[in-house]
Amino acid sequence: MTDLTEKDETVENIPQLQRSGVIEVDEDLCLTCRECEVFCSLYHEGECNPNVSRIRVSYDDFVPGPPSIAVCKQCDWPACYYACASRWDEPAILIDKVTGARYIDSGKCRGCGACARACPLMPDQPVIGFRQGRRRIYFKCDLCHDRAEGPVCVQICPGNAIRFIPAEERSK
Amino acid sequence: MSEIYGWTGEILRVDLSSGEISIVDTMKYVPDFIGGLGIASRIAWEELSPDIDAFDPENPLFIMVGPLTGTIASGAGRVEILGIAPQQHPPVFSRSGMGGHWGAELKYAGYDGVIVQGRAEMPVYLWIHDAQAEILDASNLWGRGTYGTTKALRAIHGSNTRVISCGQAGEHLSRIAVIQTETGNAAGQGGFGGVMGSKKLKAIAVRGTMGVKVARPQEFFDLSINAGRESQWPSGFRRRRRWDARGVQTDRDGNILRRRKCGFCVSPCGYRIRENVQATDGSSIPSVAQHCWGYMGNSQTVDPVARAITSDYGLNGWEITYGMIPWLQMCKQHGLIDKVDSVDIPVPDDPIEYMRDTEPYSSEFIHTLLRKMAFREGELGDALADGTCYAADRLFSGEGIPFLDRIYPRHCGQTAHWAGHWGPGGAVYWPWWLPPVLQWCTDTRDPASDSTHQWTEHVQPYMPESGPHRGPFSLEKVSAICARVYGNPDILNPAFEYDPPELKAIPAIWHSHRAMIVDSLILCDREHSRVFSMKSEDGAADTALMSKLLSVCTGYDVSERELDRAGERIWNQLRAIDVRNFGRGRAIDESTIDGFMYPGKDDGVMLDRGKFLTLLDKYYELSGWSLANGCPTRAKLEELGLGDVADELERMGKLT
Repeated sequence: MTDLTEKDETVENIPQLQRSGVIEVDEDLCLTCRECEVFCSLYHEGECNPNVSRIRVSYDDFVPGPPSIAVCKQCDWPACYYACASRWDEPAILIDKVTGARYIDSGKCRGCGACARACPLMPDQPVIGFRQGRRRIYFKCDLCHDRAEGPVCVQICPGNAIRFIPAEERSK
Repeated sequence: MSEIYGWTGEILRVDLSSGEISIVDTMKYVPDFIGGLGIASRIAWEELSPDIDAFDPENPLFIMVGPLTGTIASGAGRVEILGIAPQQHPPVFSRSGMGGHWGAELKYAGYDGVIVQGRAEMPVYLWIHDAQAEILDASNLWGRGTYGTTKALRAIHGSNTRVISCGQAGEHLSRIAVIQTETGNAAGQGGFGGVMGSKKLKAIAVRGTMGVKVARPQEFFDLSINAGRESQWPSGFRRRRRWDARGVQTDRDGNILRRRKCGFCVSPCGYRIRENVQATDGSSIPSVAQHCWGYMGNSQTVDPVARAITSDYGLNGWEITYGMIPWLQMCKQHGLIDKVDSVDIPVPDDPIEYMRDTEPYSSEFIHTLLRKMAFREGELGDALADGTCYAADRLFSGEGIPFLDRIYPRHCGQTAHWAGHWGPGGAVYWPWWLPPVLQWCTDTRDPASDSTHQWTEHVQPYMPESGPHRGPFSLEKVSAICARVYGNPDILNPAFEYDPPELKAIPAIWHSHRAMIVDSLILCDREHSRVFSMKSEDGAADTALMSKLLSVCTGYDVSERELDRAGERIWNQLRAIDVRNFGRGRAIDESTIDGFMYPGKDDGVMLDRGKFLTLLDKYYELSGWSLANGCPTRAKLEELGLGDVADELERMGKLT
């Protein structure tokens, strides 16, 4: 199976983007307290609501195995970014200069949903979501790039299951 | 209507007899009664008629959440359940709490609580989702355990559905039936699973996507992220590291153990769940490996199948482990019973004086006992299904009743716990078990759900010495903090025992009032209310934390003093219900002392009844309760804004 997050070698003329840091989760360490979800949603959306969190924990005690945790993988070749850029003159998905985060500028998002459709992880892993206002505003993990202490989920996790890996420490 | 923060503004009221669903306005009761337990206590005062029994259709079952439920405030995953509790001996209006994820989901579905009244003709369940509620047919769920019920409802309503349910024990009106959620959390004490069963209410399934609105998000965020760092016991750091190193484990039978916590909490508290335990019917089930109770052993030696079956039947494992089995062993030692069905009751050679003296037992024994209770098999199963205190009234011509003395402070029907006597639980040393005994005397249940836990979790571990235990703080430091928190530097000074009496009465009252706040916000008693801190410079915790959290979340500015007053108001409101409906008073409070009239388990110290009564007098005096009958006085009730309560109690002749 083709890994869509890898560069498609047939595409020669797309320049390599600045690499991004990423949130890595050790699902075996997850305590399923879902503090990451409520802290994330309060920080970004101003309310405590797992349904608008950019990191999503799901588990069922009656299904064996670790919980499944969905969060943006900040791809080297981000399909969401290219989908948005190819559609709009002024794209809403931008690259943060410090962390490299691929983030959605909610002021610029027109709600077309091209990013979510393009994402290779969706819909099995709900890493891109939206709020329904007058129009849809899409959101995804932005590594809390505007927060001095770094990603809030990493800071709050009582199981130390969530880590931030800077771009330079990411494996190829 | 202006925007509501914290609360959702609506409490769902469901009458199963008529099928009518209506809404109670939360905002009528706040901030005076906060939420959760506080609002339930007020509604119960307004509506509870004097002559209803626990299994009467009109017994209101309150399943409540609070303004902080489902938020980032650590410990915000809990639910508080109230109603006339069948386990209590005799039944009184009481409470039970549980963690997990159900409470937050109810909040996200748009409700501050559910009040269930009436009785359905056929088994039903409630399906609550995003501001809608339906009463649906549960005929095909009736007879199933809590695990099967949860799985079936998830198959219908989606895997993110959160479920509370009663098992077969609840259906058979067991007085020790729990309300279970998932595999690891249950509202265990009080027998509220039986109340569900009596209403033919099998389950409540919830799914919500609406979130909790916050008045001042940035302040709430900053406050909680800092408060989260406080979430340690003095020994908590070591505990946390050990957890991190292990992650997933395998037990001796090859079962995989995974770590779990209640929802919405960052404390180092938690439990393990075993995957794929082989059930007796050959199916594969999950089982909680370690909570605070177990079947005679630690997390590695308990029978995981028995644990799973207990939750599936929806039985109170705590009562069975720490009350019923020891009592059966004592009964056998005195020749009253020999076997349960064909299985021998194991007994130790020596007389049982404390929980620690009891004899371990086989899987076969516990499985047989559980089955007999869940289905009320035979006279023994039928009697034991009502819990040990009721069983003792009925079995062996009452000859087993004297053996209850060490285990049960009789009026509440729950095992003596964390007050230095029977066991189990952490050691509480003389004279530190005096305030917990005062709390036992004045409460309607085992107060370890909220009040005594604060004492044992947040106070005793920090003190320079208590028994063989050595805490991190010097007596000087402790005294300075006590002066600030309790208004008296000598509260924790080991030089004082009964005299002066306020040294024990003050903390008993302070922690009981704080417990009411915790159960109303709703947070967790293992997180709140702290007295000491390992993080602050002077070692004192921020005792205003709960009022700050409430204020920034809801936008109502409530000071620490005002919130303490609300806690006192709720405590008095509950007391007034107990006085009015159940004849509570000094005589019942004093009868509770009998359950502690033997040497303390860790220190051998004998309670002095005469001296203890001076503590009780002081407790009443400082509470503004009558020394003669233990009823709140008019002056106190009016000071708390409960003038209508005083009027009604006066009409009944309860005010002296």
